[in-house]
Amino acid sequence: MIDGLAARVPPPWTAIRAIALNTFREAIRDRILYLLLVFALVLIGSSRVISLMTVGDENKIIKDIGLSAISIFGVLTAVFVGVSLVFKEIERRTIYTLLANPVRRWQFVTGKFFGLLAVLALNVTLMSVALFALLGFRGASPWGLLPAVLMIGIELTIITAVALLFSSVTNPILAAVATAATYVMGHLAWSLQLLKARVDSVAGSAFCDLVYWVVPGFDRLDIKTEAVHGITLPSGFLPLAIAYGLGYAAVVLFVACVLFERRDFS
Amino acid sequence: MTLRRLLASLLLLGLVLSTTVTARALDKLDRLRLAEEELLYLPNGRHIKLMSLGHQALFADLFYIWAIQYYSNYERKDRYRYVEHVFGDVIGELDPYYVDPIWLGALILSVEANDLEAGLRLLDRGLTRNPTQWIFPYLAGWELYHRREFERAAVYFGRAASIPGAPPVTRRMRAGMFSKAGLLEDALRQWQEVIDDSASDETSRRVAGLQLRELALKRDLATLRDAVERFRNENARLPRSLEELHRRAYIQQVPLDPNQNPYRLDPRTGEVRSTAGRMLGGE
Repeated sequence: MIDGLAARVPPPWTAIRAIALNTFREAIRDRILYLLLVFALVLIGSSRVISLMTVGDENKIIKDIGLSAISIFGVLTAVFVGVSLVFKEIERRTIYTLLANPVRRWQFVTGKFFGLLAVLALNVTLMSVALFALLGFRGASPWGLLPAVLMIGIELTIITAVALLFSSVTNPILAAVATAATYVMGHLAWSLQLLKARVDSVAGSAFCDLVYWVVPGFDRLDIKTEAVHGITLPSGFLPLAIAYGLGYAAVVLFVACVLFERRDFS
Repeated sequence: MTLRRLLASLLLLGLVLSTTVTARALDKLDRLRLAEEELLYLPNGRHIKLMSLGHQALFADLFYIWAIQYYSNYERKDRYRYVEHVFGDVIGELDPYYVDPIWLGALILSVEANDLEAGLRLLDRGLTRNPTQWIFPYLAGWELYHRREFERAAVYFGRAASIPGAPPVTRRMRAGMFSKAGLLEDALRQWQEVIDDSASDETSRRVAGLQLRELALKRDLATLRDAVERFRNENARLPRSLEELHRRAYIQQVPLDPNQNPYRLDPRTGEVRSTAGRMLGGE
């Protein structure tokens, strides 16, 4: 009897995969996604025109604009699509149907996370192909930018997890504001060490340290400048940065799952 | 219904026209231009980095493109006051590896603003941030060469030559600056080093060979003419031959020219010549 029941309960990844696939399909039907993608592709294309206004290396400008476009539009996609993912299911009440099935809440959140991540991976790939093609057409080697694109992907993974965390506990507007604030704080985290050096009190100094270690240190993952100038990264940087980024995203996702488990829908 | 549509269309047309007229009128107004004062509050790159949220290289590009347009406007008076700040403090801090703004800023300072020292300071800062970029001291050397400060130029070309990966032209320029400065012995030593250096290319060796011949010719002619002059002053007559100069210890030996031919002394005028000089474009 117990064996028979066990046979009927699907493994957790089946539900996660099904939700992720569904999220992916749903997200790529979203108009805002196309709008952002078209905007990014237009910007990457127009970087050629902007580069004409420079004196010196035009490819440097194209690379900078291209990488920033991939990053900025990736973040916008993660925020705008991510914050409404869970909320939509609650608003449409489809969450009840879903959770009535043998799907645990954490599987639902994790599935949503991987679904959005797949969308972002597709977006980043399309934008990168456009940028690499433009550079290749101009005779410049684009391959040195690959580590920077990978790090942008890691940054987007964290932002997706953060967007999902806030989406699990509040409405889309608040979630968008909170995710954007986390993004800004994450990019300013390095300045907290400068602030700490100027703060006299122990409590102030400890607060700076706390915020510095709690917020995502996006500055640690940013290698756009190094990639564009072809500067060699310190040995072991990439594995460490990937481990840090994925570890941070996993922690946030875990918290999101816990909070969602405790949420009362009645 | 048709009348309402017509009225609505007319209203829209009127609004578009009035907006266009207003825009044109605004453009024609002679507004007070802030000129260089607008740069007074341009913050340091480190502060702009805070606002860039991880896109500091993009901000550096945008500031650079803006600076090109700004400094291309020759109507602005006294526009050079903040060049060092814009190119060194703002763009340089945002993207320390960005080479183009540093050399362009230095060029504006030394050529247009006629402030060579500020231009050199900017290039020095570029080198401090990028110790492998030989282009910075190389350009500094050229700026000093144009000002005929050959000895300082030699120092900068030497600095460029000492950076791994610097092209052979940097060593040629260093040796050439010693020649221009009239430091013949230093120049001879530098050109000999160019020949002896295993990293030198064929062109450098050929140029160095020609330079060595020319400098040796110059040095010998100067030595012989000086000896003739001293002989005339002390003996109240001209020497009959170069051998006589040697016999009377005015020169240590009778040199041969770079073609291994003897120098010629005209005993009537005291003039010393060499047939090699014509080939070398010298005497």
